[in-house]
Amino acid sequence: MSTTDNPPILEVSEFNVDYGYGDDAVRAVTDVSFSLGQSKVLGIAGESGSGKSTLVYALTRLLRAPGIITGGKATLRLLRQENDLPFDLLNATEAELRGIRWSQVSIVMQSALNALNPLQRIGKEFNEVLKLHDTSLSKADRKARAIELLALVDLGPDRLQRYPHELSGGQRQRVVIALALALRPELVIMDEPTTALDVVTQREIVSKLYELRQRLGFAMIFITHDLSLLVELADEIMVMYAGRIVERAPATHLYQAPRHPYTLGLMDSFPPLFGERVQMSGIPGSPPMLKSPPTGCAFHPRCAAAHDRCREESPPLVAIEDGQRSVACWLHDPTSTHEVPVALTRRHVAASEAN
Amino acid sequence: MTTLARRFALFAFTAWATITVNFMLPRMMPGDPIQLLIGKLQGRVTPEMIASIKAQFGQGLDQPILNQYGNYLSQLAHGDLGTSITLSAPVGDVLFSQLWWTIGLIGAAAVISFLIGTTLGALFGWTRGSRSDAAIPVATFLQSVPYYFLGTVLLMLFAGSLHWFPLMGAYDPSLTPGWNWEYISSVLRYAELPIASIVLCSLAGWMLGMRNMMVTTMSEDFVLMAVAKGLPRRRVMWHAARNAVLPSIANLALTIGLLVSGSLLVEQIFNYPGVGNLLVNAVGNQDYPLLQGIFLLITFTVLGANLLADLLYFVLDPRTRTATVN
Repeated sequence: MSTTDNPPILEVSEFNVDYGYGDDAVRAVTDVSFSLGQSKVLGIAGESGSGKSTLVYALTRLLRAPGIITGGKATLRLLRQENDLPFDLLNATEAELRGIRWSQVSIVMQSALNALNPLQRIGKEFNEVLKLHDTSLSKADRKARAIELLALVDLGPDRLQRYPHELSGGQRQRVVIALALALRPELVIMDEPTTALDVVTQREIVSKLYELRQRLGFAMIFITHDLSLLVELADEIMVMYAGRIVERAPATHLYQAPRHPYTLGLMDSFPPLFGERVQMSGIPGSPPMLKSPPTGCAFHPRCAAAHDRCREESPPLVAIEDGQRSVACWLHDPTSTHEVPVALTRRHVAASEAN
Repeated sequence: MTTLARRFALFAFTAWATITVNFMLPRMMPGDPIQLLIGKLQGRVTPEMIASIKAQFGQGLDQPILNQYGNYLSQLAHGDLGTSITLSAPVGDVLFSQLWWTIGLIGAAAVISFLIGTTLGALFGWTRGSRSDAAIPVATFLQSVPYYFLGTVLLMLFAGSLHWFPLMGAYDPSLTPGWNWEYISSVLRYAELPIASIVLCSLAGWMLGMRNMMVTTMSEDFVLMAVAKGLPRRRVMWHAARNAVLPSIANLALTIGLLVSGSLLVEQIFNYPGVGNLLVNAVGNQDYPLLQGIFLLITFTVLGANLLADLLYFVLDPRTRTATVN
């Protein structure tokens, strides 16, 4: 995916996260490696409990007890930093982390109602971050900047005087997005920013994000369980299941031609906003208990195409189709003799070919 | 605004109901309370006192009850609570002179205990899971010790055996009360042990309450967001503490409501002047006018404190300003 000469903004390798210590430990994220190019958008999809939020909270060192990072490397390369040395996220001290927080890496949380201090006016929220990271701004400057930021998400300056509970869910989420962009960070993490909103508002927020990203060019990690939302927003999509990456591909490839049975199931779980009415099939069963994961491929108990090998060995994430994408599924193993379901063999139609 | 108006209306209604019950009670007692009282005075009765007793219980019980009620209300409006039988002084004056001791002692103790307790609670909540958790069993123990026991032990030990503190009273009896340093320092010195005993007994409650609220609040998203914003540690803690302290502040206002009635044990143990001692004496001597006055005072402090708690919440929590029903 990295067509630019710049090194990736975020590089993660062999990343592992546990909940709890010793014998009680439950592995929530297993051997995750990926990289995110400058100004690119990475979508992470998966059901609740697939480890997608744990992954980003651990990467940004916001993980709460009893979450523990048990291994791996995560390197941030910021272009705007004076010394463009790679920033080791996992070994950074709290003071070092404070230096990049919000100014370089900001995060939008799932529930905007809870992300804003209920006792604080919206204006104060803006004032707080602007003041913290740029002491040169005067009070009037900060207010002007806050108004500017609110305008960015189509909210009027009168919102500055409001308390969070006086705004609607969609408005609050816009406020949080505006806050996240306040210091022009290079990387913005969106943790299911639209999940708590209705479909129409979801749409508005996603198009707003699309527009803002075009304009401001920040890199973004967008977490959701709704794959269809990611297609227009993301450059690349990573699907997670039971703490592992099961498929990674450029967004349109993944959407048009999924290779992992789980990805296919996820796509069949959400109705498209436009077009024909279709029968939703969903995925039978529920995600595994991480305390006692199934043997072999964690998805095999719910997979229609599972065979003996799936029950015994866990499939590694391997590159397929000339390294354009990767998948962790025995069906796509060159030595596999099992028939691949038709839905998983569709060919990706490039935009140029389609026209 | 309607929320606040409703609170005031409720307050006014409760106040009226209290006053009315206070008026009705002596009239519902069997027998003639006036004869009973005059009899109790055993001849030490002046015409003035009879007049005051009659005034207290409605001049001439033969009058229609509505007239009596009207008189009672107008007396009350003029601050006339009748005359104490045992002290031969207007109840209002007696209460007023004793009230300051109670407010000073219990009020200071409540504020000190609240400040120390919530600060410790916020800190212990913030550092939960560390060695500071050892404070919990200690606090639970302190909370479960009955006040009269702790108070008596402290008095016997520090004032009785060790003579570090005065044994009884509110100031050195050889001094004349006045605005001079000698007297004031003596008052402070005599208040130390009673205040310390109350603080020791009530501190744990504030601490545990605040700690628990702090732990709950810290799992809120806005606290995590404050960390993600790169705010310094102290600022993050402030975000959490501000939200966590709300229930404690409401509790503080309610505690102040119990200030007058709660003073009874302290004032008995340390032989300290105040409304609590007054109440015990009034009960012992069946001094009805004084009792009525004290009851009225107690109900009004409780009511006033409730109103104060509501107002405080209204000021501190913007969400209550738009809420329709609490």
